[in-house]
Amino acid sequence: MTAHLEIRGLRISGPAGEVVRPLDLELRPAETVALIGESGSGKTLTAKSLIGLLPAGFRAEGTFRSGDQVVALDQPDAAWRPLRGRRVSLLLQDPFTSLSPVHRCGEQIGWTIDAIQGRLPRRERSRRIAERLDEVRLPARAAHAYPHELSGGMRQRVAIAAALASDPSLLIADEPTTALDASNQAEILDLLRALQDARAMSLLLISHDLGLVRGRSERVLVMCRGEVVERGTTAEVLSDPQHPYTRALIAADPALGAPGPARPVAAGGDREPLLAAEGIAKRFGDRPVLDDVSVQVTAGAVLGIVGESGSGKSTLARCIAGLEREDAGVVRFAGDVLSPGRRSRTPDQMQIVFQDPYSSLNPMMTIGAILREALATVGRPASEVGAILGQVGLPAEFASKRPAELSGGQRQRVAIARALAPRPRLLICDESVSALDVSVQAQVLDLLGRLRDELGLAILFISHDLAVVRRIADTVTVLWDGRVVEQGTCEQVLEAPEHEYTRLLVAAAARENTGAATRVATKGTP
Amino acid sequence: MTSPGPVGIVFGPTRLPVTVALSLGVVALALAAIALTPLVAADATRQDIMSSLLPPGADGHLLGTDELGRDILALTIAGTASALVGPICVALGSMILGVLLGTIAGYERGWLDTVIGRWTDLLLALPVLLAAIVVSGVFGGGYWATVALLILLFSPSDIRIVRAGVLEQSARPYIEAAQMLSLSRSRIMFRHILPNVSTLVITNAMLNVAFAIVAFSSLSFLGVGVPPGTPDWGRQLTEGRAIMLDNPAAVIVPALLIIVVACSVNLVGDWLGQRLTRSGRRA
Repeated sequence: MTAHLEIRGLRISGPAGEVVRPLDLELRPAETVALIGESGSGKTLTAKSLIGLLPAGFRAEGTFRSGDQVVALDQPDAAWRPLRGRRVSLLLQDPFTSLSPVHRCGEQIGWTIDAIQGRLPRRERSRRIAERLDEVRLPARAAHAYPHELSGGMRQRVAIAAALASDPSLLIADEPTTALDASNQAEILDLLRALQDARAMSLLLISHDLGLVRGRSERVLVMCRGEVVERGTTAEVLSDPQHPYTRALIAADPALGAPGPARPVAAGGDREPLLAAEGIAKRFGDRPVLDDVSVQVTAGAVLGIVGESGSGKSTLARCIAGLEREDAGVVRFAGDVLSPGRRSRTPDQMQIVFQDPYSSLNPMMTIGAILREALATVGRPASEVGAILGQVGLPAEFASKRPAELSGGQRQRVAIARALAPRPRLLICDESVSALDVSVQAQVLDLLGRLRDELGLAILFISHDLAVVRRIADTVTVLWDGRVVEQGTCEQVLEAPEHEYTRLLVAAAARENTGAATRVATKGTP
Repeated sequence: MTSPGPVGIVFGPTRLPVTVALSLGVVALALAAIALTPLVAADATRQDIMSSLLPPGADGHLLGTDELGRDILALTIAGTASALVGPICVALGSMILGVLLGTIAGYERGWLDTVIGRWTDLLLALPVLLAAIVVSGVFGGGYWATVALLILLFSPSDIRIVRAGVLEQSARPYIEAAQMLSLSRSRIMFRHILPNVSTLVITNAMLNVAFAIVAFSSLSFLGVGVPPGTPDWGRQLTEGRAIMLDNPAAVIVPALLIIVVACSVNLVGDWLGQRLTRSGRRA
C-alpha cells in the first residue's frame, strides 16, 4: 500500500536555533504512528508545524504531501487554510481549555461543519451535529451543554467530534488523554481507533507515555531533543529498544518497568499511627464529597490513596492539612486531636506537595526566597538553603533562579524542598508526580522513597495512577465517590482486588500496558 | 542566566511601535515642561495690558497673547504642572486605596468584602464630574480638594480590579503552600499575592492618569478646579473662548494639548500593560 501522507525533511528552527532536526515520516490510511518524547523533545512543535500553527518566532522547512497535493511547510498562513482543519485536524491535550467556555458544544462542532459545507439549513445542520455526537458516543442532548457541564472524558469526545467534522485524512492527537483518568483514557483511545478504522484516517498519536502507545500504534518514532533517535514497529521498539534513551524511557515507565523493590518496613501494624483521620465527612453545598472516610499512616510508611477525579481524594488531603474544614470526623496527629482549619496546625506537622509544579511556586520570588521563607517558619537560618536544595538533588546555585527558569521536574523538586524545610513529620503528595514526564516521575518517586527512609517521613501519596502508587506505597486506600471501597496492603489490593471498582481500575491500568497487543498482530500486515 | 525583573523587560532592548514611541516622546516633553517651568515661564502670569491680544508671532510672542497681555506659550508651559501633577496624584492615590481595600476584600472575603463591595457600588453610581462640581460648590473648591475628591471617585475601579486579581491568585496552589507554612495573612496578601497582580495595578493607574487629565481639565473649564489666575489648560479654554477670533491659538493650543497628552498617556499605558502581561505569561 502506498503512503498517502508523506512528510519530507521537516526541520524547525526557533529563536534559539534548530529545535527539530530533519525528519521524514509517512502515514498509510488507517495507520497509527506514535511520536514519543518527553516535554521539550519537539514533538508538539512537530505537530503544530504540520498544521501551520507554529508559535511566532519558529520556522518550519520541508514538504508535506497529502494525496496529490504537495505543500511547503513554510508557506504563509493564508495558504494553510484550505488544508488546516480539512485534510489535517489537530486534537489537543486539554479538553478543559481547547473548547470555548461560552459556547454550547453543538455550536462548536457546528463551526467546523460550516467551514466545510458552507451554511446549511438549520435542521440539516443540527442533524449533522447529532450525527457527529453519536459517532463519538455522546447523546444528542450534549449539543446543548456548555463544556463546563460535561466531564473531562465527555469534553474530549466533543473535541474529537469537532476535529473530525471535516473528515480529515490525518488526525494529529497531541497527548489526547494526558489530562484524563485511567478508565477514560482507555475509552478515548479505543474510540479514536474505531473512528480511524471507519474512515481510513491516519492518526499521528503524540505522547510522552510509551505504555499508552503499546498496542495502539503500528509504528513508533522516539524523539529526544529534537531528533528522532529510534523508529520501527511498536512491538520491535518496545521489545528490543536500540537507543539508550528509549531503554531509559521503558525502564522509567512505572507500568512497563518492574515494581518498586520490596522493603522490609512493617506497614501499619504494630506501631502507633502518626496520622489517623477517622470518619471524615464533607459536603460542598448539597453534594457529599466525603462520607465516613478513615485512613492512617505510620512514620516511615507510605499510604497510597487511589481514586479518579471527583472521588474526594484531594478533599480528604485538604481536610487533613486544614485547608478545608471537615463537617464531621476527627483528625489525630501523633495522638493529639487537631480541630478543623489551619489555626490548630503548625508547619512542622505536615506539608503538601501539590500536583502542578507550574502554579505551586510563586512566579515573582526566587527559589532562594521561597525556601528561606519556609525555613524561617521553624527558625532555621537562611544559610541552610543550599543544604536543602542538595537534599532534593539540586545545586545550590538554583537559589538565585526564578521558577520560570526551571523545568517541571526541577520545580517539583523545589516544591518538595519547600515542603521539607519546616521538617514536617508527614508529607502529603497530592498527585505530585502526575504532571511530570515518566523519567522525571521515576526520579521524583525515588527521591520520595529516599526521604522517607532517611527522615522517617510518613507519606500520604494521592494519585489516580495505580501503576505509580504500586511503585511507592506500602498500604493502599481506594476511594470511590467519597467512600472507602477498599483498604489493605499494596499487594492485597492490587493482586486480589475485592471491590468491583478496584478491579476496574486495575484492569484499566493493565490494559494500558498489555492491552490491545493482539490488535497490532492482526493489523500489522496490511 | 538570570531572569529580568519587570523593569528590565519593559525598558530592555525592544522594538517600539511608532505610536508608542511618539506617545513616550509627548509624555517626556510634558514632564520636561513641568521641570523647566521656573526657567522659561516663571513670569507666565505677568500681565501687560499694552501688548494684549497680539496674534501668534507678533512682537516675540510665538503664540501671541491674551486679553491681559499674558504670553500664551509661557502660560501653556506653566499650565502643564496643574494639568499633570493632579492627575498623577489621583492615579497614585486611588492605586493605593485600590491595593489596600482590593487586596483585603479579595483575600479575606466575608463581611469585609461585602462592606467594601457596597462602598464601591455606591461610589460607582455617582457621576464623577457632577459629584465633583457639587462637592466643590458646597465645600469650596481648590486644587488639592479636587485631587482628594477624584481619588475617592476613581478608587472603585482600582478596588474592583485588584480584588478580581487577588481572587484569581488566591486559588493558586502557591498561596495554599504559603498557608501550609502558617504565614501571616498580611504577609500572604502583600508579599505573595500583590506582586502577582502588580501588572493590573500599574496598567490601570496609567489609564487613570489619562482619565484624570480629562476630568481635571473639564473641572477647570467649568471653573471649579483651580482658582482664577493659576496657569491651567482647562482655564485657558474658558478664558480663550472670548478672544477666539483675535487669537485662536489661545484656545486651540491648550485644547490640542489636553487631547494629545491624554491619548499619549493612554497609549503608553496600553503598551506597558501588554508588555507586562506578556512577560508575566513567560514567567
